[in-house]
Amino acid sequence: MKKSLINSVLSIIGIVAFCIVLTPRLSAAQDAASPEQQKVIAAFTDRVKEYVKLREKIEEAMPNLSKEAKPEEIEAHKKAFQEKVRTARTGAKPGDLFTPDITRHIRATIKGAFKGKDLKELRETVLEAETKGVPVRVNYPYPPSKETVEMPPTLLLVLPELPKQMRYRYVGHQLLLVDRENGLIVDYMLDALP
Amino acid sequence: MRRPARSAIAIALIVICGILEIAYSQNGKPAAATKAVQVKLPLKDGSLRFAVIGDTGSGAKEQQQLAEVMLRYRQAFPFEFVLMMGDNLYGGESASDYKVKFEDVYKPLLDAKVKFYATLGNHDESNQRFYDHFNMNGNEYYSFKKDKVAFYSLNSNYMDPKQVKWIEDELSKGDAEWKICFFHHPPYSSGKKHGSDEQLREVIEPILIKHGVDVVFTGHEHFYERIKPQKGIHYFISGAGGKLRPGDVKVSSLTAKSFDKDLHFMLVEIVDDQLHFQVITRTGAIIDEGVLTTRENMIKADTK
Repeated sequence: MKKSLINSVLSIIGIVAFCIVLTPRLSAAQDAASPEQQKVIAAFTDRVKEYVKLREKIEEAMPNLSKEAKPEEIEAHKKAFQEKVRTARTGAKPGDLFTPDITRHIRATIKGAFKGKDLKELRETVLEAETKGVPVRVNYPYPPSKETVEMPPTLLLVLPELPKQMRYRYVGHQLLLVDRENGLIVDYMLDALP
Repeated sequence: MRRPARSAIAIALIVICGILEIAYSQNGKPAAATKAVQVKLPLKDGSLRFAVIGDTGSGAKEQQQLAEVMLRYRQAFPFEFVLMMGDNLYGGESASDYKVKFEDVYKPLLDAKVKFYATLGNHDESNQRFYDHFNMNGNEYYSFKKDKVAFYSLNSNYMDPKQVKWIEDELSKGDAEWKICFFHHPPYSSGKKHGSDEQLREVIEPILIKHGVDVVFTGHEHFYERIKPQKGIHYFISGAGGKLRPGDVKVSSLTAKSFDKDLHFMLVEIVDDQLHFQVITRTGAIIDEGVLTTRENMIKADTK
C-alpha cells in the first residue's frame, strides 16, 4: 500500500472520530450561546483582557525572565510579580470578573455539555485532585506545593476562551481564574461543578 | 532464657545483620544496584538514543538511587538526552526544590551534557518552562527534531483549543519518519488510582491518528505500563522515576506489560524504522524490552 493512501485512510479515520466524538459537545456549547449570552461572554472577555492589560504593564516594567533562567531567577521573578499585582489590585473582590451573568452562563454551559458518563468523568477528574487547603481568596497565590487539577480538554472546548496568560482551575466545586505566571487567584466562582 | 540460648540468638542476629549489611550497602543503595549493566539494545552507529523518566521530583533517596543506575547504564549506552514525563518537582517550586529534586540528583548526567526535555505534570507550575535545564524555551508545549525523529511535548494539564490547534499544525507540517508525543496524563492506563484519561483521549487521539503519530510516552501513574497498540499507536506509561504506587496496576485487556514494584526508567534506541526499548529498575533488573516499528509499517503488515 502506498504511503499517500495510508495517510489518506488515517486522515479520514481521524476526522470521522473527531466529528463523532466532539461535534455533539461543541454543538451544545454553540446552542447555549444565544446572542444575549454572546454579549455576556464578550463582556467577560473584556474584563479578563482588562486584567491582562494591567498585569502586562506590570510585567513589562520588570526585568525580563530569560528562557534559560536559573531557579533563583524564576522564584524571584514570580515573587516580585505577585507583590506588584497584589498591590495594584488591592480591593479586588470575588465577582469582579465572574459577574452573576457569566457565572450563570458557565454553570448552564457545563450542565448542558456534560451529562451521564461524561459528567461522572468530569467530576472524577476534578474531585480526584488533592486541593484541600488551597485558600480560595482573590488576590492570593495558589500554593505551589498543591496539586493542580487537570482541566479536561472537553470542558475547555466549551468555556469562554482565555488569553494565554490566564487559566481556569478547579478547586473542589469552585472554578478559579488564575494568572499562570504569578499564580495569583484573580477571581473565582462557586458551584461550577454540577 | 539460658545463657547458651541467648548467645545463639545474639550470634544469629549478628549474622543476619551482616547479611543485611552486604545486601544493603553503607550508602543505602539496594544490593542489586551494583548488578552488572545489561544493555539489550542494538547500539548501532548513528542511531538515536535517549532515556525516559517520569514523576521524578520527589528528592527522595530512591530517586537518587535510580539516577545512579541511569548513570551506570549511560556508560554502556551513551544516551544523548532524557524525556521527562512531568511532575518534575513535587511539593514546591523554590530554588532549593529545583536543586534538591533535580539538579543534585542528575548532576553527573547534567555535567556530561545530557539534555533533559521536560513536560508539565499536575504538580508542576507553568514557570518551569523558563528553567534552562528543562529545555522548554519558554513554552508549555513545544517540539524538536533529532534526525528523522520528531518529538512533541504537550501540556496535558491544560489542553485548550489553542494547544489543540498548535499540535494539529505542528504534526501536519512534519515529515519525520517517527513522530513521538510525550505528555503527563495517559490516555490509556490500567491504573487503579487514575486509569485512562478518557477526556484527554477524546480530544487528542483523533489528532494523533490523523497525523500518524507512532509512539506516545506519558507518566502520572506511578508505575510502568506498556499498552497494547491502540489504533496503531504505541503507548507507554513511565511514571515511577521518583515515586512509586505499589500494586496500583490492575492488569487489563490494555496491558502488554506492567510493573509496579519498584522505580524504573526506560532506554530507547531508534534505528531506521525500528524503535528498541529496555526498561530498568532501581535494582538494575530488566522488566521489559522489545522492538517496535513505525505506525506506517505496522499498518502495512496488518494489511498484507
